[in-house]
Amino acid sequence: MNQQELDGILQKAAELKVFCEYGERTVPVLDEIASFVREISPAIEDLRAVVEVSMVNIPKAADQLGRVTQATEQASTDILNTLDRMVATLDEVITSVASGMISSDLGAATKKMAAIVKSLVDKSGWDEDIVKLAEAWDIHLQSMRMSGPTSNLERLLKDLQSDCTEIMMALQVQDITQQHIGAVMGTIQAVAEGLQQLTTGFFSTSSAEALPPTPSMPVQFEQENVGEAERKKMVEALLSKARAGQI
Amino acid sequence: MTSMKILIVDDSITIRRIITNALKTVGFPDTMEASNGKDALEKLTNANVDFIITDWNMPEMNGLDFIKQVRANPIYSALPILMITTRGTEHDVIEALQAKVNSYIVKPFTPQELKEKIEGILKTVQINTV
Ligand SMILES: [Mg+2]
Repeated sequence: MNQQELDGILQKAAELKVFCEYGERTVPVLDEIASFVREISPAIEDLRAVVEVSMVNIPKAADQLGRVTQATEQASTDILNTLDRMVATLDEVITSVASGMISSDLGAATKKMAAIVKSLVDKSGWDEDIVKLAEAWDIHLQSMRMSGPTSNLERLLKDLQSDCTEIMMALQVQDITQQHIGAVMGTIQAVAEGLQQLTTGFFSTSSAEALPPTPSMPVQFEQENVGEAERKKMVEALLSKARAGQI
Repeated sequence: MTSMKILIVDDSITIRRIITNALKTVGFPDTMEASNGKDALEKLTNANVDFIITDWNMPEMNGLDFIKQVRANPIYSALPILMITTRGTEHDVIEALQAKVNSYIVKPFTPQELKEKIEGILKTVQINTV
């Protein structure tokens, strides 16, 4: 055995020493890792169960929200159809009331009288007394319209019509809630995507269901949750800024 | 009553009907409808539209992109545009104004509000063209 071979053995012994020292330090760390894994494995099992249930429930929740949107849209359409019919009917009734046709006897008599007065005026060659009679008849007709039961009825019918308009305007809530539901669905979808990545990359579970459908457009939560009046004030302030050329 | 033709652009059929009816009650009975920006651009080429009311959140082409396209087209660039949307943040309004929308309403709105906005726009448009 020459010096070179001896040097080689010494070198290997030194390397072995370093390795043993390293092992002495790493073994406790590895022990700690092993006990940590033993401790967390039930939690990981629980998490896996939660993820598996969620992967089934999330598409169901998205589907239910979609159905809510569809149902409210259908209901709004039905209400709008009914309101359209009501407004049209009220229009007809108001026209009838305004032309005095609501009371057929009175209407017929009034029309007959009006025709007689008109023909009297024409025939009389604008005789002063006849013209006075025509004017008096006109005033009488006007006062009948203004003070009679029909004018009150006309006002009530118009009130009903404006109530119909108010109900119709209130249906805007359908679109507003639909957009909020869309935003919730977007969030649910983001969670579902995260869970799916977790399931494919970590748990490799087989129960991952299809993700809920992507909303047809990007929707977002309103960042500034202020009241309607404040929001309108803010819009008006910005509009006047724009008019002043500051936007 | 005015014969001004108003194009209503909204993906919600409920909202289109509501705007149509509200316009009728405040004296603007001549309307036509489109369900998104793309559809509206087609409608613009086939009808003499005088005024546009548009939503923002719509599939295919949203309201903001639609406004930008209208403003970029020399034939329609001067058309008055009112935006009616659920988007009500300061950032949204500024973005719409930068796209050159004439006025802005956050849903829900009333027929009276609609009337005032339209008349306000028509007044400024007339002043600008004088
Ligand atoms: Mg919309």
